[in-house]
Amino acid sequence: MTPLLEARRSRALLLVLVVVHLLAITHQVDAGGGHSLLERTILGLFEPLQAGVTHAVLGAQGGWRGYVDLRGVRERNRELEARLAQTEFELMQARAKAQEAAHLRSLLSLRESGPLSGMAALIVERSGLPWYRTLILDKGTDDGVQLQAPVLAPTGLVGRVIENSAHAAKVQVLIDQQSGVGVLIERTRLPALAKGLLGRGGQGTPLLRVEFVPARADVVVGDTLVTSGLDRLYPPGLRVGRVQHVGPGSGLFREIEAVPAVELASLESVLVLAALPAADLRAAEGLK
Amino acid sequence: MTFAWSATGLVVAVLLQKLLGLFGSPDIILPDPFLILLVYAALRGGETRGMLFGMASGWVQDVLFAGPIVGFSALAKLLVGFGVGVAGARFLVSGVLPRALVTCCAALLDILLHERLAAALGVEVRELPLQPLLLRAALSGLLAVPCFALLDRRVMSDPP
Repeated sequence: MTPLLEARRSRALLLVLVVVHLLAITHQVDAGGGHSLLERTILGLFEPLQAGVTHAVLGAQGGWRGYVDLRGVRERNRELEARLAQTEFELMQARAKAQEAAHLRSLLSLRESGPLSGMAALIVERSGLPWYRTLILDKGTDDGVQLQAPVLAPTGLVGRVIENSAHAAKVQVLIDQQSGVGVLIERTRLPALAKGLLGRGGQGTPLLRVEFVPARADVVVGDTLVTSGLDRLYPPGLRVGRVQHVGPGSGLFREIEAVPAVELASLESVLVLAALPAADLRAAEGLK
Repeated sequence: MTFAWSATGLVVAVLLQKLLGLFGSPDIILPDPFLILLVYAALRGGETRGMLFGMASGWVQDVLFAGPIVGFSALAKLLVGFGVGVAGARFLVSGVLPRALVTCCAALLDILLHERLAAALGVEVRELPLQPLLLRAALSGLLAVPCFALLDRRVMSDPP
């Protein structure tokens, strides 16, 4: 093949591929995300590799800490940490329920909700692209992980499952710029929307932007944000973050920023809950 | 580069990405191993192989690391692979320094394309500040030097 012909062929191929990609992305933007066979395949292919490396690294770290750095104390500490995490989780639910009781007065009119249950999963990969915040877990559909399933840490909400394969799941975390969660300001029960605000002004500090809070609303620094359940993606009462900055804003709404309740950098494992019922999810899709 | 080399390259890139992530540095300045291998593939194999490897590596990055909308890394790296392949055919970039410089430029172009494409298609992504970006590009260029030297030894027997 002559160089000229080869150059033409490669340009034609480039054009075709660019158009195909643009169409694929546009389709996802219209549909609010995609769950393709290609995605599931790639996710499934690389999960064993990532899990293997993570287990090796964690194993090496654990070995070093366990045998060299006071083995018995370390083991005891782990056990206590696990119990503390469970207790914090129960406390978080109890506080949310107490707040509900105090503010709504009429418990009989509320829908009964059972205790949350889920499975523990190890984080095998964190986002390697600077624009996004995602995690890869070592549990997938074979383990019962569903799309849109809420993901928790002992201190609060982490995010939701946006893609899964047989043995892996991808989680979009709250601080991702394309993420959003319906919240309540716990003290005043004021509803709002918390969106990811990765690196405000390029500072690299993960924050949440709290939107749709009226200009005269009672919000102070230190207020706790919990899930409202109104987005029908997350159960109500899960801790989301703490208000860090309250500004006057412009127009009808205040400018509020919050620190996420979960410190993602040090997170090693999470709890994956069951996704909310399909009817609720369909309703949530309709809200988009 | 054959298909086997490309597949191996992708696996190595995923491992490198994971190892770099263990350092816990701010993610903006971490070099992009996928891009380094893409530059190597494009300089060695030309524009067609460059864009195909770029597309494949971009899809792996998208699926493993991006949010619900995937394809931006694939499209950006497809274009970068093509551009580097064309540049490699027109200019003499076989030395260590020119290849490191090409990697720096490719890293900046990749970021710029990703952001512009996302903005053009209405997807809100984080706006990356310039200084860390320049540092990221420089680190990518630096990391490219030993990577290319290693690859030159390994792939030398393989026809371009």
